[in-house]
Amino acid sequence: MPIVIEKLTHTYQNGSVNAFTALKDISLTISDGEFVGLIGHTGSGKSTLIQMLNGLMQPTEGRVTVDGFDMNDKKQRAKGRALVGMVFQYPDHQLFDETVYKDISFGPKNMKLNEEEIDKRVREAMRLVGLDFDEFAEKSPFELSGGEKRRTALAGIIAMYPKYLVLDEPMAGLDPAGRRAVLEMIDDFRRQLGCAVIMVSHSMDDIARSAEKVVVLRKGEIFRCGTPQEIFSLSDELREMGLEPPFAARMAGELRRRGMDLPKDIYTNEALVKALAEIKGGAHV
Amino acid sequence: MLSIENVSFTYESGASALEGVSLEIRDGEFLCIVGHNGSGKSTLAKMLNGLLLPTEGTVTLDGMDTSDDDKLLDIRRRVGIVFQNPDNQIVTTVVREDVAFGPENLGVPTEVMAVRVDEALRSVGMEQYADSAPHMLSGGQKQRIAIAGMLAMEPEVLVLDEATAMLDPLGRKDILSIVKKLHDEKGITVVMITQYMEEALYAERVVVMNGGKIEMEGSPREIFMRGGELRSIGLDVPAAVELRDMLKESGVADLGDAVDQEEIINGICRSLLKN
Repeated sequence: MPIVIEKLTHTYQNGSVNAFTALKDISLTISDGEFVGLIGHTGSGKSTLIQMLNGLMQPTEGRVTVDGFDMNDKKQRAKGRALVGMVFQYPDHQLFDETVYKDISFGPKNMKLNEEEIDKRVREAMRLVGLDFDEFAEKSPFELSGGEKRRTALAGIIAMYPKYLVLDEPMAGLDPAGRRAVLEMIDDFRRQLGCAVIMVSHSMDDIARSAEKVVVLRKGEIFRCGTPQEIFSLSDELREMGLEPPFAARMAGELRRRGMDLPKDIYTNEALVKALAEIKGGAHV
Repeated sequence: MLSIENVSFTYESGASALEGVSLEIRDGEFLCIVGHNGSGKSTLAKMLNGLLLPTEGTVTLDGMDTSDDDKLLDIRRRVGIVFQNPDNQIVTTVVREDVAFGPENLGVPTEVMAVRVDEALRSVGMEQYADSAPHMLSGGQKQRIAIAGMLAMEPEVLVLDEATAMLDPLGRKDILSIVKKLHDEKGITVVMITQYMEEALYAERVVVMNGGKIEMEGSPREIFMRGGELRSIGLDVPAAVELRDMLKESGVADLGDAVDQEEIINGICRSLLKN
């Protein structure tokens, strides 16, 4: 069963002079196992929307149901929330326990699993995020580097086996190898745990590489929802709303302006090189 | 000139963050230090104004040693650091006061201060926010305020320790163009520590850190000809350079050591649009 978002509207400080509508009439379905990329300029409503997905916040209008559990209903919310794992942008805010092991086991412990199961899950989660058990289990989270902290925060969520994994800028602050590793890791546990992923990212290149469906938010509304090809062929529209299209899409656009006949749906370097190779091949015939 | 001589740094736990690093940062230079998480680049940054002291070796600014307590205040006035998380650098509730915080502590007279604060805010394009509350600003705006706070101390060296890491791509570009302008127009020495290879293209010289040591050093053009080596130590090349390398490998076009987009676009057009 999916996450269904129906006619969601949210106004902060509703009724006051400072009222601000962050989300307007959002309807969206996130299916089992799907990889959804959520993009939008700062202030477009991304953060508000993802906080609704696990009931951290309730909308002023409309509703979210997670596998049928109505997140507006206090009793059902707890059941829905158990299915949705959230990893926030600043791992520092998510880590609190004395050791990495205790931090990761916090969630499974709250799920009232037995010791053996908890231990199994902590080890598995650490392996999936690439943290060596012997080296890290007994370390304090505060001794870790930025990348290691983020891995720890991710492991704590994975250990709960979420059906939906919500990631807010999971690559921010990581080095290139770390970014690649986190993206591969997300692919890995999608395969192994079969979870759906909802990823917020400023990096169009990361979204281009991973997402099956891309949702573009603009001023609290869904501007477009489609495949990466569909979304990233809208370079001009994206740019207008302050989003930077993937590098290859920008290059292809510039080359088209200079008179090169390139297809509209290029958004990776691989596709661009292939198209240019065809032009070169054609020129020789 | 900032001079780092044979510097090592070992944590109390025995873990070593820097091993025998020597580096000279020339006056007016735009230097970029890149390296993966844990390569020692942030430790090195914190050495530059004595926030951390070497366990071996010395760091000196025009001959003043950072381990000399009597010189430390002067060194900190001349070398300002902006860090990654904007929220941890805001100390007051009004932008103007926040920018004045540093110079105030240095005992700058009030009338001089007002002028300096206004000028610093103008330099980062935030003058219209002088009386705003910092917590209402975006991440990028907060980083501009943090930079203004440093500028108000009239530093000779501005160190950016992954100052753009938490910003969106446009916020990042804003900060970079401001820093570039400060360097070009005011002659401020810039030391930028980053994981974004794109940002290294702004620098005159790039230092690559790995395992607490300097692994490579050169102009962006030189460094980005060594993509394989960079990848082997957890780094990468800018997307434009990746495209350049792929075009060469697949035999579509050889663009030499081109690094910036304009150069690469021109190169592609030259190779493929012969008529």
